[in-house]
Amino acid sequence: METIDYGEEDLHKVMTDNTLHSTLTEAEMALARHCLDYALRSGAQKVRITLSKSLMNLVGLLNGEVDKTAHALDRSLQLQLFVDGKYGAFSSNRLEREELEAFVRSAIDTVKMLEPDPYRDLPAPERLAKDAVSGRELNLYDPAYEKLTAADRRKMALASSFYHPASGKEVSSAFPRLIAEEGEYSDSVFDSLTIDSQGLFARHTETSFEIGYESTVEDAEGRHFSSYWWDATPRLQDLAIEGCARTACQRAMEQIGPQEVKSGKYTLIVDTECASKLLTPLLSALGGYSLQQKNSFLKDTLGQKVFPEALTILDCPRTPGDTGCRLFDSEGVATREMPLIEKGVVKTYFLNTYMARKMEMEPTVEDATRVKVLPHGACKNLEEVLQKVGEGILVTGFNGGNSNPATGNFSYGIEGFLIRDGKRVHPIREMLITGNFIGLWNNLLIAASDARPCLSKLVPTLAFKDVDFSA
Amino acid sequence: MIQNKEYYFHTFAVERSVMQKLVEEALRSGGSYADLYFENTTYGSLLLRDGAVTSGGSHIDYGLGVRVLSGEKTGYAYCESTAWEDMLACAKAAAQIASGTADVSPYGTPNPSRGEPNPAADRYPVRESWRETPMSSFLPFLQQMEAEVKSRDRRIIKLMANLAFQMSDILMFNSYGELKWDTRPMGSVSLSAVFEQGGVTENKSVSRSFRCGAEMLSESLIREMADEVVKGIDERFAAGRPKGGQMPVVMGAGASGILLHEAMGHAFEADFNRKGTSIFADKMGRQICPRGIQIIDDGTLTGNRGALNYDDEGVPGQKTYMVEDGVLTSYLHDRISAAHYGVRPTGNGRRESFRYAPIPRMRATYMESGTAKAGDLIAEVSKGIYVDEFSNGQVQIGEGDFTFYVKAGFLIENGRLTRPVKDINIIGNGPAALADIRGVADDLAVDPGAWTCGKEQSVPVSCGIPTVLIGNLTVGGE
Repeated sequence: METIDYGEEDLHKVMTDNTLHSTLTEAEMALARHCLDYALRSGAQKVRITLSKSLMNLVGLLNGEVDKTAHALDRSLQLQLFVDGKYGAFSSNRLEREELEAFVRSAIDTVKMLEPDPYRDLPAPERLAKDAVSGRELNLYDPAYEKLTAADRRKMALASSFYHPASGKEVSSAFPRLIAEEGEYSDSVFDSLTIDSQGLFARHTETSFEIGYESTVEDAEGRHFSSYWWDATPRLQDLAIEGCARTACQRAMEQIGPQEVKSGKYTLIVDTECASKLLTPLLSALGGYSLQQKNSFLKDTLGQKVFPEALTILDCPRTPGDTGCRLFDSEGVATREMPLIEKGVVKTYFLNTYMARKMEMEPTVEDATRVKVLPHGACKNLEEVLQKVGEGILVTGFNGGNSNPATGNFSYGIEGFLIRDGKRVHPIREMLITGNFIGLWNNLLIAASDARPCLSKLVPTLAFKDVDFSA
Repeated sequence: MIQNKEYYFHTFAVERSVMQKLVEEALRSGGSYADLYFENTTYGSLLLRDGAVTSGGSHIDYGLGVRVLSGEKTGYAYCESTAWEDMLACAKAAAQIASGTADVSPYGTPNPSRGEPNPAADRYPVRESWRETPMSSFLPFLQQMEAEVKSRDRRIIKLMANLAFQMSDILMFNSYGELKWDTRPMGSVSLSAVFEQGGVTENKSVSRSFRCGAEMLSESLIREMADEVVKGIDERFAAGRPKGGQMPVVMGAGASGILLHEAMGHAFEADFNRKGTSIFADKMGRQICPRGIQIIDDGTLTGNRGALNYDDEGVPGQKTYMVEDGVLTSYLHDRISAAHYGVRPTGNGRRESFRYAPIPRMRATYMESGTAKAGDLIAEVSKGIYVDEFSNGQVQIGEGDFTFYVKAGFLIENGRLTRPVKDINIIGNGPAALADIRGVADDLAVDPGAWTCGKEQSVPVSCGIPTVLIGNLTVGGE
């Protein structure tokens, strides 16, 4: 076992210097404003600019030793130009003033050669966010980030590892079949500013801290089984490091000894870790670009009861401190809490200014921000769901598959467990589920209330009846 | 496309002496190897939607990635400027990984290719540069394509055609003193149509992607893509789901190469084997599929999406036999894994951009033709499925379980193609599927579509295969 001496003094200097400039500086924001003015002076009638900056540090482990480190500072300026009734989108990470001015001139020339598009415009001013001034209104920035050193990062990465002597865990006794363990700690700060030619000023700043482990175990015949566990949070003190490697290893061990299960219709239980896979296609089908191109199985359903009474899905983008929340979308439009599906009725299409004008509908927001599936069926967590359904197949991971956006038909590979009497009987492998999303969600039995806060979509453990399984 | 050395020095505002000094700084903490990867990529795109080319743009991505190796450990950092102070800070950040004592592991043989890049050996010559051809000249191509496609089928209610192109200037230097440079072009055209028939909608997409210049935008390409996007749409409307379960699967020539990519290609990438996680970790030299089968990963196909003059570690692009006569003969190596296994790197060290450290990745992965006839393989199957149109695939490296999503195919009943099927996932196990290949036809085709592999980073790849019969895979169904 080897430990690594980084040469802390040099490293601390590098990291400290970068940390001081990890969020947008006044000079950088002034450059964005200059770029906007320059575009207007150069022939654009309307302009929107998003300037973003991020700093990321990562420590990766292989079997309890540091295997890789990474340090990344990114800056990008995105430019959206409205010129003579035409529109173009551009970006560059070369942020020297002269370079940008040349880039803007070239971009305007490019827009001029496109065909006119009467539907392109900036959002109406009254729809723009006016409460995102400091970027920290949502309390998603943790100042603890600024004090982190490379040694801190290494310590957190190693803290959970089964292989590292400092962890005090004995690999051979705890998990004798563990053959490989990969771990990764990373943190980042992201800062963005969106301005436009009608006065928009919207800033968003957030930190993120992540820990993740993947373990591979071997059965008596030498077959390998892998699984993972992770956590992520905007605040360092909330990061659940302890137990991460253990959970990954336990999940891998549970997969040993898979058996075949006959094809047929079973109750599908899908745990909160992977349940969003079944929701994402619904959200895509509510998107303006799919709807306008008639490539959505939810076209012409706004206001209609397509799903069961039991299904309510909200977008809650403004909860302070909540992962993924935003006060404004990519156009600078203020987000708001709203139902997407309410008691089975389709309530919201995601229509930006462009798509709304094309479809002659009222604009909403570009996309969902913080989706939440409301509970149904009076179960708190997975174990209660299993007890309630009694028999079925618990899906704990998806392996490939896809869906048809026009029809809603889907087919996915799965891994998980056969369930009898509310208990896991044995793991299953090489199985598939097949169906149609409207039919699937109409067979919703239970939505628990156990969604992990680190998930980008708050989708709890779900249960559906009569799902086709192939094996 | 290979330009003269001064072009790259000018683009990145560096000289050899500067790069040498930077590498020395990167190794100052005791690393055993360091390399620099300069990139200047310009992207352009045009989108035809609702009958007009109303959306377009361009993007610039410029920067330097610095990698320091200490043993098999990697320190990586990048910056978006080639000012000396930014590059120096970047090198110091990458040097974090070093332990203070130099490791002696050799990262591939120094000077794997002697001399400077040779324009005469260029695998992606460019006749019409994407950078120098006015974007306005591309509009008629998209407009003509729309007219051509719509003339083929009146059921089309929506059509989108997208042209995306890029040119990447790359300059690489390492602590062996190896200096390589390259300019990589890529042009991609995609077409997506929505059809309506009796109130029911169906969609179909096709794409073409090549490492070449704007000369690819030809009338023959328009006709080829128009033919393909309307082909089989009657069957698409008529198609259903089969009854799911285990059955023989005939993989049609071309895009079915996704089988090789998912079922074995990833498992042969040596980083997974170095870590002991791959199901093929201890299979080197063993018979893993029937005799007579050759499986290749190839960076030498001129104009192919996976072609490389040099990989992203400066190792020459090459053709690698992974399986010869059914025996596993080579993993796919970057410099780290090659050093681990004591072999030469195979030119598979690839990265999405300067923002990523290179890792072993596929290029164009295919199986050589066999001797059977495709029709005979179908005739062998009494009840099974024929598949030849796909959208995506995935693999679990440890278990070897792979899947791929079938957009369209046919049932095989009593040796004949009968009812069309669509939107099904197929799942199998890599080693089992390889061992269960029952026949290989003589019709190898490398698919020209815009395949992208997403293992940690996105890189362009391609795949191909002759028609192949696999004895038993699990097919999703009702």
